[in-house]
Amino acid sequence: MTRPVDLSADIGEVLLTEEAIAARVAELGRRISEDYAGRNLTLVSVLKGSLPFMADLMRQISLPLRIDLMEVSSYGGTATESSGLVRIMKDLSKSIDGEDVLLVEDIIDTGLTLNYLIRYLRGKNPATLRICTLLDKPARRLVEIPVDYRGFEIPDQFVVGYGLDYGEQYRNLRFVGVLRPEVYSIID
Amino acid sequence: MAAGMPPRRAPFAHASEAELARILDFYEVRWTYEPDTFPVGWSLDGDVVESFAPDFYLPDLDLYVELTTLKQKLVRKKNRKLRRLRELYPDVRIKLFYARDFRMLMLKFGRLALADELSGTVGQATPPRAHAADLAPAPIAIAQAAAPDAATDDGEEPEGTDPAGDEAPAGGTRGRRRGRRRRAAARAAEAARRVVVGETEPA
Repeated sequence: MTRPVDLSADIGEVLLTEEAIAARVAELGRRISEDYAGRNLTLVSVLKGSLPFMADLMRQISLPLRIDLMEVSSYGGTATESSGLVRIMKDLSKSIDGEDVLLVEDIIDTGLTLNYLIRYLRGKNPATLRICTLLDKPARRLVEIPVDYRGFEIPDQFVVGYGLDYGEQYRNLRFVGVLRPEVYSIID
Repeated sequence: MAAGMPPRRAPFAHASEAELARILDFYEVRWTYEPDTFPVGWSLDGDVVESFAPDFYLPDLDLYVELTTLKQKLVRKKNRKLRRLRELYPDVRIKLFYARDFRMLMLKFGRLALADELSGTVGQATPPRAHAADLAPAPIAIAQAAAPDAATDDGEEPEGTDPAGDEAPAGGTRGRRRGRRRRAAARAAEAARRVVVGETEPA
Protein backbone atom coordinates (compact mmCIF):
# COMPACT_ATOMS: atom_id res chain seq x y z
CA MET A 1 0.00 0.00 0.00
CA THR A 2 1.37 3.40 -0.98
CA ARG A 3 1.79 5.89 1.81
CA PRO A 4 -0.16 9.16 1.28
CA VAL A 5 1.95 12.18 0.36
CA ASP A 6 1.59 15.15 2.66
CA LEU A 7 1.42 18.09 0.24
CA SER A 8 1.23 20.57 3.09
CA ALA A 9 4.77 19.63 4.05
CA ASP A 10 5.95 21.69 1.09
CA ILE A 11 4.23 24.79 2.46
CA GLY A 12 6.41 27.21 4.35
CA GLU A 13 3.60 29.39 5.63
CA VAL A 14 -0.17 29.29 5.55
CA LEU A 15 -1.14 32.68 4.18
CA LEU A 16 -4.91 32.26 4.21
CA THR A 17 -6.67 29.65 6.27
CA GLU A 18 -9.70 27.75 5.07
CA GLU A 19 -11.83 29.73 7.52
CA ALA A 20 -10.50 33.11 6.38
CA ILE A 21 -11.12 32.22 2.75
CA ALA A 22 -14.66 31.06 3.47
CA ALA A 23 -15.50 34.23 5.40
CA ARG A 24 -14.16 36.47 2.66
CA VAL A 25 -15.89 34.54 -0.13
CA ALA A 26 -19.19 34.85 1.75
CA GLU A 27 -18.65 38.59 2.04
CA LEU A 28 -17.90 38.90 -1.67
CA GLY A 29 -21.01 36.88 -2.43
CA ARG A 30 -23.15 39.26 -0.40
CA ARG A 31 -21.72 42.30 -2.14
CA ILE A 32 -22.18 40.78 -5.59
CA SER A 33 -25.75 39.79 -4.72
CA GLU A 34 -26.53 43.39 -3.79
CA ASP A 35 -24.80 44.93 -6.78
CA TYR A 36 -26.35 42.63 -9.38
CA ALA A 37 -29.89 42.46 -8.04
CA GLY A 38 -32.38 42.44 -10.93
CA ARG A 39 -29.72 41.93 -13.60
CA ASN A 40 -28.68 39.05 -15.85
CA LEU A 41 -25.55 37.85 -14.12
CA THR A 42 -23.17 35.45 -15.80
CA LEU A 43 -20.12 34.25 -13.92
CA VAL A 44 -17.23 33.36 -16.20
CA SER A 45 -14.42 31.41 -14.61
CA VAL A 46 -11.00 30.68 -16.01
CA LEU A 47 -9.80 27.13 -15.71
CA LYS A 48 -8.21 25.60 -13.85
CA GLY A 49 -7.10 27.66 -10.88
CA SER A 50 -10.39 29.44 -10.34
CA LEU A 51 -12.49 26.31 -9.92
CA PRO A 52 -12.64 26.13 -6.09
CA PHE A 53 -13.21 29.88 -5.80
CA MET A 54 -15.92 29.80 -8.46
CA ALA A 55 -17.64 26.85 -6.81
CA ASP A 56 -17.69 28.53 -3.41
CA LEU A 57 -18.51 32.01 -4.67
CA MET A 58 -21.50 31.03 -6.80
CA ARG A 59 -23.07 29.36 -3.78
CA GLN A 60 -22.74 32.58 -1.80
CA ILE A 61 -24.61 34.61 -4.41
CA SER A 62 -28.33 34.73 -3.76
CA LEU A 63 -29.39 35.57 -7.32
CA PRO A 64 -30.37 33.66 -10.44
CA LEU A 65 -27.18 33.34 -12.46
CA ARG A 66 -25.47 31.50 -15.27
CA ILE A 67 -21.99 30.14 -15.16
CA ASP A 68 -19.53 29.49 -17.95
CA LEU A 69 -15.96 28.29 -18.12
CA MET A 70 -13.02 29.26 -20.26
CA GLU A 71 -9.50 27.97 -20.57
CA VAL A 72 -6.62 29.80 -22.15
CA SER A 73 -3.16 28.54 -22.88
CA SER A 74 -0.36 29.77 -20.69
CA TYR A 75 3.01 30.91 -21.96
CA GLY A 76 5.38 27.99 -22.10
CA GLY A 77 2.63 25.43 -22.41
CA THR A 78 3.68 22.63 -24.73
CA ALA A 79 0.48 22.84 -26.74
CA THR A 80 1.18 26.41 -27.75
CA GLU A 81 4.90 26.40 -28.44
CA SER A 82 4.41 26.26 -32.15
CA SER A 83 2.11 29.26 -32.46
CA GLY A 84 3.76 31.51 -29.91
CA LEU A 85 0.43 33.15 -29.23
CA VAL A 86 -2.10 32.77 -26.48
CA ARG A 87 -4.98 30.49 -27.47
CA ILE A 88 -8.49 29.94 -26.22
CA MET A 89 -8.44 26.26 -25.27
CA LYS A 90 -12.06 26.30 -24.21
CA ASP A 91 -14.41 29.06 -25.27
CA LEU A 92 -17.68 30.17 -23.76
CA SER A 93 -20.49 27.72 -24.31
CA LYS A 94 -23.15 30.42 -24.79
CA SER A 95 -23.27 34.00 -26.01
CA ILE A 96 -22.77 36.75 -23.43
CA ASP A 97 -24.21 39.43 -25.71
CA GLY A 98 -26.13 41.82 -23.46
CA GLU A 99 -25.27 39.93 -20.28
CA ASP A 100 -23.75 41.32 -17.11
CA VAL A 101 -20.54 39.34 -16.95
CA LEU A 102 -18.41 38.89 -13.88
CA LEU A 103 -15.04 37.35 -14.68
CA VAL A 104 -13.93 35.22 -11.76
CA GLU A 105 -10.18 34.78 -11.35
CA ASP A 106 -8.08 32.99 -8.77
CA ILE A 107 -5.16 35.42 -8.81
CA ILE A 108 -4.01 38.51 -10.67
CA ASP A 109 -0.29 39.11 -10.76
CA THR A 110 1.16 40.45 -14.03
CA GLY A 111 -2.31 40.95 -15.45
CA LEU A 112 -1.21 39.67 -18.87
CA THR A 113 -3.71 36.83 -19.08
CA LEU A 114 -6.53 38.93 -17.70
CA ASN A 115 -5.73 41.79 -20.06
CA TYR A 116 -6.04 39.37 -22.97
CA LEU A 117 -9.28 37.89 -21.65
CA ILE A 118 -10.88 41.27 -21.07
CA ARG A 119 -10.17 42.31 -24.64
CA TYR A 120 -11.50 38.99 -25.88
CA LEU A 121 -14.70 39.13 -23.83
CA ARG A 122 -15.39 42.78 -24.65
CA GLY A 123 -15.50 41.71 -28.27
CA LYS A 124 -18.52 39.57 -27.41
CA ASN A 125 -20.58 42.62 -26.42
CA PRO A 126 -21.56 41.99 -22.82
CA ALA A 127 -23.68 44.69 -21.22
CA THR A 128 -21.11 45.01 -18.46
CA LEU A 129 -17.83 43.28 -17.67
CA ARG A 130 -16.37 43.33 -14.19
CA ILE A 131 -13.53 41.54 -12.48
CA CYS A 132 -13.59 39.46 -9.31
CA THR A 133 -10.41 37.91 -8.02
CA LEU A 134 -9.70 35.98 -4.88
CA LEU A 135 -6.06 37.05 -4.73
CA ASP A 136 -4.39 40.20 -5.93
CA LYS A 137 -0.61 40.48 -6.09
CA PRO A 138 -0.12 44.12 -7.12
CA ALA A 139 3.66 44.12 -6.70
CA ARG A 140 4.01 42.06 -9.84
CA ARG A 141 1.52 43.97 -11.96
CA LEU A 142 2.55 44.81 -15.48
CA VAL A 143 -0.87 45.63 -16.90
CA GLU A 144 -2.99 47.82 -14.66
CA ILE A 145 -6.49 46.39 -14.46
CA PRO A 146 -9.31 47.78 -12.33
CA VAL A 147 -10.45 45.07 -9.93
CA ASP A 148 -14.07 45.37 -8.85
CA TYR A 149 -14.14 42.60 -6.25
CA ARG A 150 -10.97 41.59 -4.46
CA GLY A 151 -10.68 38.86 -1.87
CA PHE A 152 -7.20 39.42 -0.53
CA GLU A 153 -4.18 41.48 -1.45
CA ILE A 154 -1.18 39.25 -0.93
CA PRO A 155 2.57 39.87 -0.75
CA ASP A 156 4.96 39.07 -3.54
CA GLN A 157 5.38 35.37 -2.80
CA PHE A 158 4.68 32.24 -4.77
CA VAL A 159 1.46 30.80 -3.42
CA VAL A 160 -0.37 27.54 -4.00
CA GLY A 161 -3.54 25.88 -2.79
CA TYR A 162 -7.28 26.49 -3.16
CA GLY A 163 -6.95 26.00 -6.90
CA LEU A 164 -3.49 27.47 -7.42
CA ASP A 165 -0.83 25.07 -8.55
CA TYR A 166 2.83 24.52 -9.01
CA GLY A 167 3.43 21.91 -11.69
CA GLU A 168 -0.27 20.98 -11.51
CA GLN A 169 0.10 20.03 -7.84
CA TYR A 170 -1.28 21.58 -4.63
CA ARG A 171 -4.58 22.72 -6.17
CA ASN A 172 -6.51 20.58 -3.70
CA LEU A 173 -5.12 22.20 -0.56
CA ARG A 174 -7.93 23.81 1.41
CA PHE A 175 -5.82 26.86 2.26
CA VAL A 176 -3.52 29.24 0.41
CA GLY A 177 0.10 28.85 1.39
CA VAL A 178 3.55 29.99 0.42
CA LEU A 179 5.50 27.26 -1.28
CA ARG A 180 8.86 26.54 0.30
CA PRO A 181 11.55 28.03 -1.95
CA GLU A 182 13.53 24.81 -1.88
CA VAL A 183 10.66 23.16 -3.72
CA TYR A 184 11.34 25.28 -6.77
CA SER A 185 14.89 26.43 -5.98
CA ILE A 186 14.51 30.18 -6.38
CA ILE A 187 17.88 31.71 -5.59
CA ASP A 188 18.26 35.46 -5.37
CA MET B 1 3.39 38.75 -32.97
CA ALA B 2 1.09 41.31 -31.46
CA ALA B 3 -1.84 42.32 -33.60
CA GLY B 4 -1.13 45.27 -35.85
CA MET B 5 2.58 45.23 -35.24
CA PRO B 6 5.01 44.88 -38.12
CA PRO B 7 7.50 42.03 -37.96
CA ARG B 8 10.65 43.10 -36.21
CA ARG B 9 13.92 41.62 -35.11
CA ALA B 10 15.07 43.79 -32.25
CA PRO B 11 18.76 43.31 -31.50
CA PHE B 12 18.30 42.50 -27.85
CA ALA B 13 21.23 43.13 -25.59
CA HIS B 14 20.29 40.25 -23.32
CA ALA B 15 18.54 36.93 -23.78
CA SER B 16 16.15 37.69 -20.93
CA GLU B 17 14.90 40.70 -22.88
CA ALA B 18 14.22 38.46 -25.86
CA GLU B 19 12.29 36.12 -23.58
CA LEU B 20 10.21 38.96 -22.16
CA ALA B 21 9.49 40.10 -25.72
CA ARG B 22 8.23 36.60 -26.53
CA ILE B 23 5.99 36.69 -23.46
CA LEU B 24 4.56 40.06 -24.48
CA ASP B 25 4.02 38.77 -28.01
CA PHE B 26 2.31 35.69 -26.64
CA TYR B 27 -0.22 37.80 -24.76
CA GLU B 28 -0.54 40.23 -27.68
CA VAL B 29 0.87 43.19 -25.83
CA ARG B 30 2.54 45.56 -28.29
CA TRP B 31 6.06 46.71 -27.50
CA THR B 32 9.02 48.57 -28.88
CA TYR B 33 12.60 47.97 -27.83
CA GLU B 34 14.60 50.85 -26.35
CA PRO B 35 12.68 53.53 -28.25
CA ASP B 36 13.61 56.43 -25.97
CA THR B 37 16.60 57.67 -24.03
CA PHE B 38 16.07 59.94 -21.06
CA PRO B 39 18.92 62.20 -19.96
CA VAL B 40 19.26 62.02 -16.17
CA GLY B 41 22.59 63.76 -15.56
CA TRP B 42 24.34 66.81 -16.99
CA SER B 43 27.78 68.36 -16.68
CA LEU B 44 28.25 71.98 -15.62
CA ASP B 45 28.47 72.82 -19.29
CA GLY B 46 25.04 71.35 -19.85
CA ASP B 47 26.20 68.27 -21.66
CA VAL B 48 24.36 65.06 -20.99
CA VAL B 49 26.67 62.76 -19.04
CA GLU B 50 24.18 60.18 -17.85
CA SER B 51 21.08 58.78 -19.47
CA PHE B 52 18.63 55.96 -19.10
CA ALA B 53 17.08 53.98 -21.95
CA PRO B 54 14.38 51.63 -20.62
CA ASP B 55 14.36 48.29 -22.41
CA PHE B 56 10.74 48.27 -23.53
CA TYR B 57 7.90 50.66 -24.14
CA LEU B 58 4.38 49.24 -24.19
CA PRO B 59 2.37 51.82 -26.14
CA ASP B 60 -1.08 50.48 -25.32
CA LEU B 61 -0.29 50.66 -21.63
CA ASP B 62 1.87 53.79 -21.85
CA LEU B 63 4.42 51.97 -19.75
CA TYR B 64 8.19 51.58 -19.91
CA VAL B 65 9.70 48.36 -18.62
CA GLU B 66 13.30 47.96 -17.56
CA LEU B 67 14.52 44.43 -17.06
CA THR B 68 17.59 43.61 -15.06
CA THR B 69 18.82 40.12 -14.31
CA LEU B 70 21.63 41.17 -12.02
CA LYS B 71 21.43 40.04 -8.41
CA GLN B 72 19.57 42.38 -6.08
CA LYS B 73 22.69 43.65 -4.35
CA LEU B 74 24.16 44.76 -7.66
CA VAL B 75 21.34 46.95 -8.89
CA ARG B 76 21.92 50.02 -6.71
CA LYS B 77 23.12 52.06 -9.64
CA LYS B 78 20.08 51.19 -11.71
CA ASN B 79 17.80 51.98 -8.79
CA ARG B 80 19.47 55.36 -8.40
CA LYS B 81 19.00 56.16 -12.08
CA LEU B 82 15.41 55.04 -11.90
CA ARG B 83 14.76 57.35 -8.94
CA ARG B 84 16.38 60.18 -10.86
CA LEU B 85 14.26 59.46 -13.92
CA ARG B 86 11.10 59.52 -11.81
CA GLU B 87 12.11 62.83 -10.28
CA LEU B 88 12.86 64.43 -13.63
CA TYR B 89 10.04 62.88 -15.61
CA PRO B 90 7.15 62.34 -13.18
CA ASP B 91 4.71 61.65 -15.99
CA VAL B 92 6.74 58.74 -17.30
CA ARG B 93 5.40 55.41 -16.08
CA ILE B 94 8.12 52.82 -15.67
CA LYS B 95 8.28 49.39 -14.11
CA LEU B 96 11.58 47.82 -13.10
CA PHE B 97 11.68 44.08 -13.38
CA TYR B 98 14.38 42.72 -11.10
CA ALA B 99 16.07 39.36 -11.43
CA ARG B 100 13.74 37.99 -8.79
CA ASP B 101 10.68 39.27 -10.67
CA PHE B 102 11.92 37.66 -13.85
CA ARG B 103 12.58 34.38 -12.06
CA MET B 104 9.13 34.44 -10.50
CA LEU B 105 7.64 35.12 -13.91
CA MET B 106 9.49 32.13 -15.30
CA LEU B 107 8.41 30.08 -12.29
CA LYS B 108 4.80 30.99 -13.00
CA PHE B 109 5.23 29.75 -16.55
CA GLY B 110 7.05 26.61 -15.44
CA ARG B 111 10.29 27.76 -17.05
CA LEU B 112 12.48 28.44 -14.05
CA ALA B 113 15.38 26.52 -15.54
CA LEU B 114 15.28 28.91 -18.46
CA ALA B 115 15.56 31.86 -16.08
CA ASP B 116 18.82 30.43 -14.79
CA GLU B 117 20.08 30.10 -18.34
CA LEU B 118 19.15 33.65 -19.22
CA SER B 119 20.22 35.52 -16.10
CA GLY B 120 23.25 37.72 -15.60
CA THR B 121 26.27 37.62 -17.83
CA VAL B 122 25.42 34.14 -19.07
CA GLY B 123 22.42 35.54 -20.89
CA GLN B 124 24.26 38.21 -22.80
CA ALA B 125 23.48 38.20 -26.45
CA THR B 126 26.24 37.32 -28.82
CA PRO B 127 27.13 40.43 -30.79
CA PRO B 128 25.92 40.30 -34.37
CA ARG B 129 28.51 39.42 -36.99
CA ALA B 130 28.02 42.80 -38.61
CA HIS B 131 29.60 44.41 -35.56
CA ALA B 132 32.38 41.91 -35.12
CA ALA B 133 34.95 44.52 -36.09
CA ASP B 134 33.94 46.57 -33.05
CA LEU B 135 34.84 43.82 -30.66
CA ALA B 136 37.80 41.80 -29.52
CA PRO B 137 36.45 38.24 -29.57
CA ALA B 138 39.12 36.28 -27.75
CA PRO B 139 39.45 38.55 -24.67
CA ILE B 140 35.66 38.65 -24.23
CA ALA B 141 35.44 34.92 -23.78
CA ILE B 142 38.18 34.96 -21.16
CA ALA B 143 36.79 37.98 -19.37
CA GLN B 144 33.28 36.58 -19.06
CA ALA B 145 34.61 33.52 -17.40
CA ALA B 146 36.82 35.56 -15.10
CA ALA B 147 34.32 38.20 -14.03
CA PRO B 148 30.77 36.94 -14.40
CA ASP B 149 29.11 39.79 -12.45
CA ALA B 150 31.31 42.68 -13.45
CA ALA B 151 29.26 44.00 -16.33
CA THR B 152 26.67 43.08 -18.86
CA ASP B 153 26.16 44.19 -22.39
CA ASP B 154 22.94 46.03 -21.66
CA GLY B 155 24.54 48.68 -19.54
CA GLU B 156 23.95 46.93 -16.22
CA GLU B 157 26.90 47.45 -13.97
CA PRO B 158 27.48 47.16 -10.27
CA GLU B 159 28.21 50.38 -8.42
CA GLY B 160 31.66 51.70 -9.15
CA THR B 161 32.68 49.36 -11.94
CA ASP B 162 32.01 51.55 -14.93
CA PRO B 163 35.34 52.83 -16.23
CA ALA B 164 33.66 54.85 -18.97
CA GLY B 165 31.50 56.83 -16.56
CA ASP B 166 28.10 55.67 -17.72
CA GLU B 167 25.97 55.04 -20.73
CA ALA B 168 26.37 57.30 -23.67
CA PRO B 169 24.56 60.61 -23.76
CA ALA B 170 21.18 60.79 -25.40
CA GLY B 171 21.42 60.04 -29.08
CA GLY B 172 20.57 57.45 -31.67
CA THR B 173 19.73 54.05 -30.24
CA ARG B 174 21.97 52.24 -32.69
CA GLY B 175 24.89 54.52 -31.86
CA ARG B 176 24.30 54.11 -28.15
CA ARG B 177 24.18 50.34 -28.44
CA ARG B 178 27.32 50.34 -30.50
CA GLY B 179 28.96 52.56 -27.89
CA ARG B 180 27.93 50.19 -25.14
CA ARG B 181 29.31 47.27 -27.07
CA ARG B 182 32.60 49.07 -27.50
CA ARG B 183 32.81 49.87 -23.81
CA ALA B 184 31.84 46.32 -22.89
CA ALA B 185 34.53 45.07 -25.21
CA ALA B 186 37.05 47.46 -23.66
CA ARG B 187 36.14 46.31 -20.17
CA ALA B 188 36.32 42.70 -21.22
CA ALA B 189 39.69 43.23 -22.88
CA GLU B 190 41.03 44.94 -19.76
CA ALA B 191 39.70 42.15 -17.55
CA ALA B 192 41.29 39.59 -19.81
CA ARG B 193 44.60 41.46 -19.75
CA ARG B 194 44.53 41.42 -15.94
CA VAL B 195 43.88 37.71 -15.90
CA VAL B 196 46.65 37.05 -18.36
CA VAL B 197 49.23 39.07 -16.44
CA GLY B 198 48.05 37.79 -13.05
CA GLU B 199 46.59 40.99 -11.65
CA THR B 200 43.58 41.03 -9.32
CA GLU B 201 40.30 40.24 -11.03
CA PRO B 202 37.77 43.01 -11.33
CA ALA B 203 35.39 43.29 -8.37
